[in-house]
Amino acid sequence: MLDRRSGAMITVAIAAAAFGAIVASSITQTLGQAGATRPARVEGKPNFSGIWQTNNEANWDLQAHAALPAAVTQAGVYPYDYARVPAAPVLALGAAGVVPGSLGVVQGDGEIPYKPEALAIKKENAAHWIDRDPELKCYLPGIPRAMYMPYPFQITQSTNKIHIAYEFSNSARTIHLDKVAPPPDDTWMGHSVGHWDGDTLVVDVTNFNDRAWLSRSGDFHSDALHLTERFSLASPDIIQYDVTIEDPKVFTRPWRIAMPIYRRVEPNMQLLELRCNEFAEEFMYGNLRKQPLVTHWEGETMAVDITRKVPPGDAFYQWYGR
Amino acid sequence: MRDRLSGLTITAAIAVAAAGTLIAGVITRTQAEGQSLKTPWGEPDLQGIWTDENDTPFQRSPTYANREFFTDAERAEFDRMRSTLRGRDNRGERGSERDVSGAYNNVFGALKRTGARTSMVVDPPDGRIPPMTGEAQKIAAADRDFRLAMMQATQTCKQKLPGCAGGKYDPTPTTRRDEIPQRYNTARMNRHDRPEDGALADRCLTIGLPEFGAGNGGGSFRRIVQTPGGIAIAYDVGQGQGWQRTIVMNGSPHLPASIRQWFGDSRGHWEGDTLVVDVTNFSPKTDYRGSRENLHLIEHWTRKSPTMLEYVATIEDPTVWTRPWTVKQDFTRQSEEENRIYYEPRCIEGNEGFPAMMKAARQEDREFAAGKGPDPLTKDNASGYQEPDPLQQ
Repeated sequence: MLDRRSGAMITVAIAAAAFGAIVASSITQTLGQAGATRPARVEGKPNFSGIWQTNNEANWDLQAHAALPAAVTQAGVYPYDYARVPAAPVLALGAAGVVPGSLGVVQGDGEIPYKPEALAIKKENAAHWIDRDPELKCYLPGIPRAMYMPYPFQITQSTNKIHIAYEFSNSARTIHLDKVAPPPDDTWMGHSVGHWDGDTLVVDVTNFNDRAWLSRSGDFHSDALHLTERFSLASPDIIQYDVTIEDPKVFTRPWRIAMPIYRRVEPNMQLLELRCNEFAEEFMYGNLRKQPLVTHWEGETMAVDITRKVPPGDAFYQWYGR
Repeated sequence: MRDRLSGLTITAAIAVAAAGTLIAGVITRTQAEGQSLKTPWGEPDLQGIWTDENDTPFQRSPTYANREFFTDAERAEFDRMRSTLRGRDNRGERGSERDVSGAYNNVFGALKRTGARTSMVVDPPDGRIPPMTGEAQKIAAADRDFRLAMMQATQTCKQKLPGCAGGKYDPTPTTRRDEIPQRYNTARMNRHDRPEDGALADRCLTIGLPEFGAGNGGGSFRRIVQTPGGIAIAYDVGQGQGWQRTIVMNGSPHLPASIRQWFGDSRGHWEGDTLVVDVTNFSPKTDYRGSRENLHLIEHWTRKSPTMLEYVATIEDPTVWTRPWTVKQDFTRQSEEENRIYYEPRCIEGNEGFPAMMKAARQEDREFAAGKGPDPLTKDNASGYQEPDPLQQ
């Protein structure tokens, strides 16, 4: 039934495009999420409003990769990379800790064009994923990462502003379609200024800091990051999302990622809260408890001795000074 | 220029309140200036960045018992008193614990000009929060006793400072230090044995409703963006503890009771030109003046003019108060181009103070255990010595 309705909507959208804004404003699509009704177009532009979520493995690694037993591994009995086994910090998760494989989202040759010195940092980041990835501390995800983390986000599209609220870490950004002053300081989520290129929303994102990552694989950027995002509707329930990534401090040339983003079509869909900074407190401050909660395990209870040695300079309180 | 403008707005608001017939005139005139109060798709337009540009007493002082508004002279006197009498750098004796703890002095607590109303509470008519139920009073008293016990052996109590209000000095430290509070802790206490001993604000967990942006150094901004049938509100509160709120507008019932959230579950609908939002499903980890998971809010958002958005929140929790009560605020529209809103919730990213507090506490524990330092319970690591705002007496 939902498919039938979507099919009808495409027809409607074409009709709306043909007959203009008056027709569009009188046509609505019934959907549970956000509003009782959602017109296919807002003031003549495609309506991206609604709740969306990417369904891919880009947050693990933007590049093509085979599945791994865990995000943190150690040498097993063999000396080969392909025979590594999960390491202590994630061992207790069993198969829930696996890294799923992916064909990657990097366009062209599939490689991220790191400068040699930046590639060394990326590899070091990956080796120290647990201590360095801002996601584990519930820090702001940055853009574009927030777009392909495994959590929903909601677009509220008006005429002069398009607001995106992300479930992860209460993060958000406003895409400004009108005149706006740049932010007084650098930001995690960037400063988004958009314009319409026909039915494509083009967003220029600048004013980043150098703290956010692009994936759990240690991919990073500097404060010179400049994104050009393109949002277009492939169907009423699919956004084709395409980003050109430029950062002359880290990459040798601009490169591009692309992926579909799917509408959460459940009729009762709504954003719930994910206050992960509360959930990350034990991870960050557990060692400062007067009586630590995790000391050791006893008897028949599985004993997992976790040695998580933080490399010098990577303690989270030293992180701002790096 | 901003100040002059807001002065004019308030004058206009008083005039409107005094003579309702003027409202139509004001709106007609502003619409004639070309600013529609409807979105292009015909819904009331609440969009923009909004803030309360004034400080207003939360509850009405008995001095103004029967008056909803201050006189201009009274407001001027409050502004004078607050800017001159209130210590900007009120230090304790040099080298004393109080002097060090007071480093977060009033320079950090900016004040806004005194507003027109004698109280933000507009119902009950006396402008006072209604009495708490007997059970809620008992819970509040037990919580206060526990916190004061942790303070009893400190200089703060010995010197009868505001941080010990309601308690008394006892040189013998309390035996209650290892107690776990009956209810989830939300406020700072003189103990830092675990993250859960911290105030929600210290843990970067300050978001919640209702959001009045009131209190010392308070203030909050909200950006409203609308789409046909949808509304998003981005809050900028408490030193970068911003949060996101999307109002569910499809007429569906609230979330199941098993889902509890720090900012509740907001379901909205239009009643004429007013957005009415019903908020329930709060988490027991939240605390609004004693109200937790049973808090029920009914908000009314009404665009009164191009520059003014009226916010009326009715607060209900029969387990805490003997009757519902209502708070009213006027938000003034801020420049879209200047974009002075900071909704990145960038608090946890720089929160070195909170772990530092626990780290220092562990050091104090070790020194005390080794006989090299005082009992941590004789030191005040909680109150902060902020001076109260005379407007909020």
